[in-house]
Amino acid sequence: MSMRKAYSESLTGYLFLTPLLLIIVVFSLYPVVYSLFLSLHRIILSLPSLGETFVGIDNFVAFFTDPVGRNSLMVTLVFVGVSTALEICLGIMIALIIHESFRCRSVVRAAILVPWAIPTVIASQMWRFAFNDQYGIANYLVYGTNVAHYDAWLASPVSALAVIILADVWKTSSFAALIILAGLQTIPDELYEASKIDGAGAFQRFFKITLPLLKPAILVALLFRTMDAFRVFDLVFVMTQGGPGDATNVLQFYGYRKLFAEGMVGYGSAVSIVVFLLVFSVSIIYLKFIGTGILEKKEARA
Amino acid sequence: MFLNKLVITLCLCMWVSQAGASETLHFVMWKPNQPELWDRIVGIFERETGVSVIREIGPHSSTAAHALVTQKLKNRDPKLDVFMMDVTWPPEFAAAGWASSLDRFFAEEQRQDFFPGAIRACTFRGKLYGIPFWTSGGLLYYRKDLLQKYGFDPPTTWEQLVRQADTIVRGERKDNPALKGYSGQFKQYEGLVCDMQEFVLSNNGRLLDYESRKSTIGLPANLQAVRFVRDRIIGKIASRGVLTYEEPESLHVFIQGHAVFLRNWPYAWAISNDPNKSRVAGLVDITVLPHFPGGQSASTLGGWQFAMSRFSTKKQLAWTFIEFMTSPRIQKILAIDASQAPARKSVYRDPEVLEKNPHFAKLSAVFENTRPRPAMPLYPLYSAILQRFYHKAISHERSPLEKLAEQADDQVRYLLQLQEEAGM
Repeated sequence: MSMRKAYSESLTGYLFLTPLLLIIVVFSLYPVVYSLFLSLHRIILSLPSLGETFVGIDNFVAFFTDPVGRNSLMVTLVFVGVSTALEICLGIMIALIIHESFRCRSVVRAAILVPWAIPTVIASQMWRFAFNDQYGIANYLVYGTNVAHYDAWLASPVSALAVIILADVWKTSSFAALIILAGLQTIPDELYEASKIDGAGAFQRFFKITLPLLKPAILVALLFRTMDAFRVFDLVFVMTQGGPGDATNVLQFYGYRKLFAEGMVGYGSAVSIVVFLLVFSVSIIYLKFIGTGILEKKEARA
Repeated sequence: MFLNKLVITLCLCMWVSQAGASETLHFVMWKPNQPELWDRIVGIFERETGVSVIREIGPHSSTAAHALVTQKLKNRDPKLDVFMMDVTWPPEFAAAGWASSLDRFFAEEQRQDFFPGAIRACTFRGKLYGIPFWTSGGLLYYRKDLLQKYGFDPPTTWEQLVRQADTIVRGERKDNPALKGYSGQFKQYEGLVCDMQEFVLSNNGRLLDYESRKSTIGLPANLQAVRFVRDRIIGKIASRGVLTYEEPESLHVFIQGHAVFLRNWPYAWAISNDPNKSRVAGLVDITVLPHFPGGQSASTLGGWQFAMSRFSTKKQLAWTFIEFMTSPRIQKILAIDASQAPARKSVYRDPEVLEKNPHFAKLSAVFENTRPRPAMPLYPLYSAILQRFYHKAISHERSPLEKLAEQADDQVRYLLQLQEEAGM
């Protein structure tokens, strides 16, 4: 009797899970597996007479030996490293500020979220205009009305990448702040009171209490930001199209160009598989850290 | 009441679609700048033949329109009879077996009236795959008031252009500190290939050796032209900003009165002479692009063509439509009402056309000598290699030209190998 009940209960459970599983299989698993399949073949849209030959890992070898591919990997790693580091630091600062109680705090909290709420394509256009060499506000702020000195920010490799990182930091720091703020709110006030009585200064309180207890929240923010940063596309698409001279040719954009503009289906899929593997391994590493972080907390409580 | 209306409407729709079923054509084009012109000319065709044309409008950019059309052709979509083709597509569409050869419809002598460059661009391995609709080519726009003020004739060599630009900019610095000598398209995109090809070919350079099927990006004559652009134009007579310009941005600088010379396509004529849009209206003239000593002026060929899907089941009807759209009569409407440059030479001698567009007399000389971009099935890939090479080469003052060219040639070699393997 009870066996049957348990059986039917688990059946109901699976039944409820089915729609979700179906969605995951159709929209996540199938595309990944199909991309993997494509990436192991040589498929060139405009040369159908070549057929679809199986080439093993040739596309991946080609990617890692091609200077363009390697450059695009480096650009992406620099972008991910710098932008996530800045976003987390800024996120912590913003979170600390909006955690304090002051007048109009809710207005400030809402205002800080505005950049995150703007669609990336529109924000990218805005930044492109801001850094335009003729009428951009950036030039006006730096050089005033001295038009002869106006700079073309998006025409130099270093400043173009910096502008794209700046746009990303501007746009998503508030998202990191939101997650970190949630973490801040779980830290009990008694800890601060006790440490004050023991004579701890503001810096000690921050480094000995706030930061360690924020670790899980920071890791979650880092996880989200890193995953997103690896997939950066719209900023580059709108602002530079990968230029100047490939200085902002991030992986997702490179893969898109290969697939859709050049018709190199196999190679383009290989690039997207590389992005997938990078994101996948980074998230596994983070999840491991987050897992132990939460575990430590539980043990401490017990 | 509402339901009744709905039923009646539905019946009507079905009747209409039934009635038209025997004589409908599916036509895919990109989003045009002058939709009313297209409504009109397609309307004339529909009225005179009784055929209804179902138009599907794709995105405005050529690259995006390419993605749409190739998707349909790859799936052998039967609801596609006629489509518009950009000037670099025919080899790709021919090799992929997507475009239908038009030789049996279009006799040799009928081709005589079209600009030879436009016909060549539609031809792949001796067969014709498209009929040119309008044509285009790179032109040099200049400020005739400024050139006159300093006593210059329009430059015929690049060296002259640089010198004139320098003198004029120096002389005007007090009144117009934002004035630059030159504006053009140097962003990392298809337009860069067009602009750079004009420099390279006008120095007797060559990008592909068709006979031996070799890439020749690193030839001394080619590199000399690229070096000239890097050392004398970018950051010198042109601002470094041109490295981020497509056509609209480069034109914007010119119509603001901030450039002496501009390289652009014929469409810029109407805009730069429109007092509502341009501060230099009436002060602008056009001429052929300059060349290097010993070279000849080279203008990159642009333009759009009509093509027929190989999977169309109504090829005869499709041809009727293409023939109509490329007829002298429609070409004249195109020239007079849209200021677009027709692909037929005879239209440029028509007094009515010349009265409306006096500058067409000059254009016709340019179009006689336009130079196509290399014709090859893997052109999109080739273009990406060139874009990368040129942009790296001209965006650093001390870029290692030879080394970059060697890398680019290597990449082209691989692409030529692929084409050879595919029997191209």
